[in-house]
Amino acid sequence: MKSVWAKTLCRLLVVLMVWSPMQFATAGMIGTDQVASVASQADRSTVLQFLGRAEVANQMQSMGVDASTVKDRIAAMTDQEVQQLAGKIQSMPAGADSTGVVILLIVVAAVVWWVWFRR
Amino acid sequence: MPQTKELAKGGLPQGLPMKAELTEVPFFPQREYQCGPAALATVLAAAGVKVTAEDLVGQVYIPERKGSLQVEMLAAARRHGMVSYALAPRFEDMLREIAAGTPVVVLQNLGVFSAGWHYAVAVGYDYQFGTLVMRSGTLERDVLPFAAHEVVWMRSGYWAMVAVPPDRIPATAEEKSWLSAIAAFERVGDARGARTAYQTFLGRWPENINAHIGLANTHHSLGELAEAVAVLRDATRRDPESVVALNNLAQTLSDLGRNEEALPVIDKASAVGGPFASAVQKTRETILQRIGNRRVQ
Repeated sequence: MKSVWAKTLCRLLVVLMVWSPMQFATAGMIGTDQVASVASQADRSTVLQFLGRAEVANQMQSMGVDASTVKDRIAAMTDQEVQQLAGKIQSMPAGADSTGVVILLIVVAAVVWWVWFRR
Repeated sequence: MPQTKELAKGGLPQGLPMKAELTEVPFFPQREYQCGPAALATVLAAAGVKVTAEDLVGQVYIPERKGSLQVEMLAAARRHGMVSYALAPRFEDMLREIAAGTPVVVLQNLGVFSAGWHYAVAVGYDYQFGTLVMRSGTLERDVLPFAAHEVVWMRSGYWAMVAVPPDRIPATAEEKSWLSAIAAFERVGDARGARTAYQTFLGRWPENINAHIGLANTHHSLGELAEAVAVLRDATRRDPESVVALNNLAQTLSDLGRNEEALPVIDKASAVGGPFASAVQKTRETILQRIGNRRVQ
């Protein structure tokens, strides 16, 4: 029971952490990334971006990423990258495989066969 | 395999050597599922970053997915002072990067009945034999035919990335995408590195207004206000209608205490209008307020 509460509290803290100290260009200066994003997507609400980051932080944590590292990981992403991830972390390609070499051999064999015998 | 066929038919693309291999690129044999950290460490270490695969596990690995996402591969490189760049989905571009001395991370799908996503690093090729050399998984020098690589690579939409120091531009970089890559790098907070990257960019594409704006922003955040003014003046000469350049110039002049000079600049920005109108309005208010404060004193 205690750990459930601890977990929930941790998540909440991470969300708040991600939410608050966003990095922007110095006061009054229009940031370079804003220039770039306006070109493709007119005036997106900042609130939505914050929600995107908090949502991704929450998802990453629920998938076993250490709470202490989530903030820095998300801070290194652009807004567009956060948008790409939001809600899709479960389904996006995640490079992982180490047993692939065996399968690769099968593929190579198939290709060699195709190249030599089908041409 | 469409691209392999094209390469075979069209002959060796212009300017490429017959073969190349970056033998000095280090090798980090992957531990279970951790080809993401291993592949990223390979290209970062090749670019001179002191890092191991182990160090990167906490930056790109997602335990429940037992893998690493493309977005995080790009993002994590920035945290190590490198500008990351997703290549155009072309076989030829991958070869060009290798020939230029840059190892390329590629995402393959080795699975047959289910997805088997895998990152490997392309470090060499031999056009005559049509083979690639890769650091892949536990293999330090995996040699495979172009066609075999294309079979597994095309399933990721030919996804590939490089990571280079800020004073370099990837061989196949396109103006607009490379500028976005630098802007993304700037976001992570390495202002000195970003300044270098914008300067290098402007050496190649001196007309790009957004790169001027980016360079001026890094000057501004490093406290180099006079340099920021010079760069923005240059930008407004090249494009007198750039609202962002005008706004940032006015703001920087005002930060230097030159509010009387700033006022006509911001008025010009207001006259042009556009999507940054509210930011311009705020800058204008700040300037007026600063002028007012001084008069009151």
